[in-house]
Amino acid sequence: MFKLNLKIALRNLWKNKTSSFINVVGLAIGLAACLMLLLYVTYEWNFDKQAKNWRNVYVAMTNVPGDGNKIAATFNGTTTALGPLLKAHLPEVKYVARMDYGKKSLIANGQNSYKKDSKFAEPDLLKMYDYQFISGDPKTALKNPLSAILTESTAKTLFGTTDALNKVVRYQDRENLTITGVIKDLPENSSNRFDFLMPWSFYEILDRDVKDLNWNNYSFVTMVLLDQNADIDLVNRKVDGLVKANAPQNAQSQPHFLYQASKLHLFGKFENGKPIGGNIEQIYLFVGLAFGILLIACINFMNMATAKSEKRAKEVGIKKTIGANRSSLILQFLTESMVLTFIAVILAIALLELSLPAFNRLLNFNIGISYFRVTSWLGILGIVSATGLIAGSYPAFYLSSFNPIQTLKRKINAKGFPNISLRQVLVIGQFCFAIILIIATLVIYRQIQYIKNKPVGFDVNALVEMPQEGELKTKFDLFKTQLLKAGAVTSMYQSSVSLSHHGRNFMDIKWDGMTKPANTVMFNQVATSYDFIKTNGIKLLAGRDFSERFASDTSAIMVSASAVKVFGYKNPIGKKVTLFGTNAHIIGVFDDYVWDSPYKSNNPQVVFINLKQTGTITMRLNNANSLQHNIETINRITKAFNPAYPTEISFVNSLYQEKYKSEQILGILSNLFGGLAIFVSCLGLFGLVAYSSEQRTKEFGVRKVLGASVANLMQLLSLSFLKMIAVAIVIAIPIGYLSMVKWLNNFEYHTEFSWWIMPLAAIGTLTIALFTVSFQAYKTAKANPVDALKYE
Amino acid sequence: MIKIENLEKVYKTEEVETTALNGINLHVAAGEFVSIMGPSGCGKSTLLNVMGLLDKPESGSYKFIDTELLTLNDRERSNFRKRNMGFVFQNFNLIDELTVFENIELPLIYNKVPAGERKKLVNEIIERMNIVNRSGHFPQQLSGGQQQRVAVARALVTKPKLVLADEPTGNLDSSHGNEVMELLCELNETGTTIVMVTHSSHDASFSNRIINLKDGHVISEKINKSRNEELI
Repeated sequence: MFKLNLKIALRNLWKNKTSSFINVVGLAIGLAACLMLLLYVTYEWNFDKQAKNWRNVYVAMTNVPGDGNKIAATFNGTTTALGPLLKAHLPEVKYVARMDYGKKSLIANGQNSYKKDSKFAEPDLLKMYDYQFISGDPKTALKNPLSAILTESTAKTLFGTTDALNKVVRYQDRENLTITGVIKDLPENSSNRFDFLMPWSFYEILDRDVKDLNWNNYSFVTMVLLDQNADIDLVNRKVDGLVKANAPQNAQSQPHFLYQASKLHLFGKFENGKPIGGNIEQIYLFVGLAFGILLIACINFMNMATAKSEKRAKEVGIKKTIGANRSSLILQFLTESMVLTFIAVILAIALLELSLPAFNRLLNFNIGISYFRVTSWLGILGIVSATGLIAGSYPAFYLSSFNPIQTLKRKINAKGFPNISLRQVLVIGQFCFAIILIIATLVIYRQIQYIKNKPVGFDVNALVEMPQEGELKTKFDLFKTQLLKAGAVTSMYQSSVSLSHHGRNFMDIKWDGMTKPANTVMFNQVATSYDFIKTNGIKLLAGRDFSERFASDTSAIMVSASAVKVFGYKNPIGKKVTLFGTNAHIIGVFDDYVWDSPYKSNNPQVVFINLKQTGTITMRLNNANSLQHNIETINRITKAFNPAYPTEISFVNSLYQEKYKSEQILGILSNLFGGLAIFVSCLGLFGLVAYSSEQRTKEFGVRKVLGASVANLMQLLSLSFLKMIAVAIVIAIPIGYLSMVKWLNNFEYHTEFSWWIMPLAAIGTLTIALFTVSFQAYKTAKANPVDALKYE
Repeated sequence: MIKIENLEKVYKTEEVETTALNGINLHVAAGEFVSIMGPSGCGKSTLLNVMGLLDKPESGSYKFIDTELLTLNDRERSNFRKRNMGFVFQNFNLIDELTVFENIELPLIYNKVPAGERKKLVNEIIERMNIVNRSGHFPQQLSGGQQQRVAVARALVTKPKLVLADEPTGNLDSSHGNEVMELLCELNETGTTIVMVTHSSHDASFSNRIINLKDGHVISEKINKSRNEELI
């Protein structure tokens, strides 16, 4: 029976080439979108879940108290004191490992030096994650302070081989470290990635703050492995009690809790201390888009199948008469949709392979189908079966329900007509989805343009920066003199952070006339040298820039306009502010500029002079020279200071471009999926019109003989379809409007929903649909009536 | 073999109610060839559909070798039909996507006959119907007469006790029509019971008995002496 069903399915596909083509192409596009999504979701969903114990790996989180007993922010930074406290007092804790956030550091084998991702961690980290050691012993690998574990690729880069055990590398041109382990590269979907890992004990040697067990500096990450039977709520109550009992308590004390480490990636957004989603929203959006397109393709299949019901009805009637029961017919029609889906999935995999490289580049991933894994095939099989069932079930139940007597006497029209309304509903649904996507695309594009065109608050052009490393930390003044003399730059400064940065927030600030006992507003701090404003060109609203001419500037600060608003000063210049317990006077007020997210107002900022807090050197290039000349000069002089380090000059302009990336990706995706949705919808519409005109060939022949013009006939055929599009427009526009207004409201800075977007989306869709319909309508209307009437 | 008593069938639309069968009583003996005649709309096709379990009457009784068929549910009707009945239609009703061989094989598949035996049975009937060289063709590649032979072959391949034919020559020219009628006669001579609906008295002359219907009633019954004598 299956063989026969398969035969009928294949012969039907071959016979109805147009509808087969529409169905296969539509389903292939939908399936390709879905498979791509499946890959992406698998990748994201398995973030930090590679370790055997991933369910029990937790990260300590910190709640930052804000106004009115609320929690202003939640982040995964902790102090050095928390880890040992938890380990000593909580029986549920099996292992604790403190780490730093990781950074790019110099690692060298002789003359070959590279900037690689480095991390410091306590040895128990190796017990939480199942790093696969190619060589070395995980039990002892992080024992000796002057040691390092390399990943396979780092070992290959440095030594050309993974056989690197006991060899020596030089760290930051300062210390020699012995390699105590080489491990397999870490999966891309893990948060704690590094190229080389060094012992915490080495970190304690490098930085006194690390050795000191304090409750002030939240620059460290504390990872905890809990017993598998531990009750996390109970543990968190204990954590809270422990911290309250052991850490000094005041208004700014920050409570801690443990959070499953694997959740941080997808559910890393907190509001008032409670998780409220995060990257998972992007996944939901993706799921919606991909399944939407697949559903459109399935609807095409259903519509084409039921539209052809008259043709298939006879077959149903005959089979029922000679003994087929309903279930065998349902099975037959499902076989047909499965065969079609199967052909489509082959095409989809080909499409996927073609588009994956571009997709990976776009989203900065490295995902692909693992053809040798059973789960991949199970996933594909699952999606094919689900699609085949969704697309095939309605036609199968509908067609198999035909009464044999009516079908054999070709009376099926009477029964078929009420079902047209469902077909109309499906077409309307398809186009609703497409129109909403058009509206979304337009709004997202406008929002990106709005944010891009919104001034960042300073002149980003001809501004470059580089990390302040090695000799540049101690010899900045000499470096500055040489660059200014060479004429490559007109002005420069060093600072603790780049102009574009996250974090560096604090609350330990007091000002005259403060009403509350302690500050609860989050401020941002930048430690800098002279010429801060002169170099970056941020607008000075009052006072002046830091200058070497004023010796007192070492205890002076500049503040942003929003900081002045918090202080409530009318004439801020000369006013006193206490920063980390030290008094300082305001010498300048600058306009707020974008340093963090361009979509919201950034925290009030305080800038002060501290030459010890090095980090980044920012330079304004001399416009009198060519860009190439300036960069070459900077490179040459930097190399002379820091021969061991590669020179890394970044344009501030491109750093700011990065800030728009996630919305830009969203824009590209909605463009892509919106385009696909419209294309697949139009394929379906084309199929229905083609079928409808084939059915009405004779009627059109008669009408033409009686004097109907081509325009009359086109109108006759097109109007009923265009009516459906019109209904879709009426439904989709309010939905699109409301959802996009809601989306825009997520951003503090957002464009308005312009009224013209709605008519544009409506007219655009109508035009595309009209074009689709009239192509077929014209062909039918122009046909020779004699041919039509000779037919039959 | 068939006992039909007081069969009533009413077609209802929103505006009118039409009585298609109005208390029909009919007996058909095993091995008989019965023709049902009458003007258009007299209910003859309805009667044939009810006999073929394709349609349900409002009331009455329909016994097939002592089994009451009107109380069966859909699945039982379908099973009974595929085991005991074969159909021949005016417009052949072959499946366009299947070849001659596959069309004939189809009822055997539904009867779950094993593949080897199916092949044997289909080949036998193809030979008997003289369409051996057409077995790989699709219906649209055949003439009307050939298509009706295939349809008859399909009706006979399961060796049904009863063959129901609805105007089997209606779409054929007279020579092809005669061929089909001769085929039905041969079949009847081998013991198969045949009930045929027809407009043509020529076709009816091939049967043992002719029943005339009008407005849902049996108005007359005639034994076809010439045919019966022929048989004797």
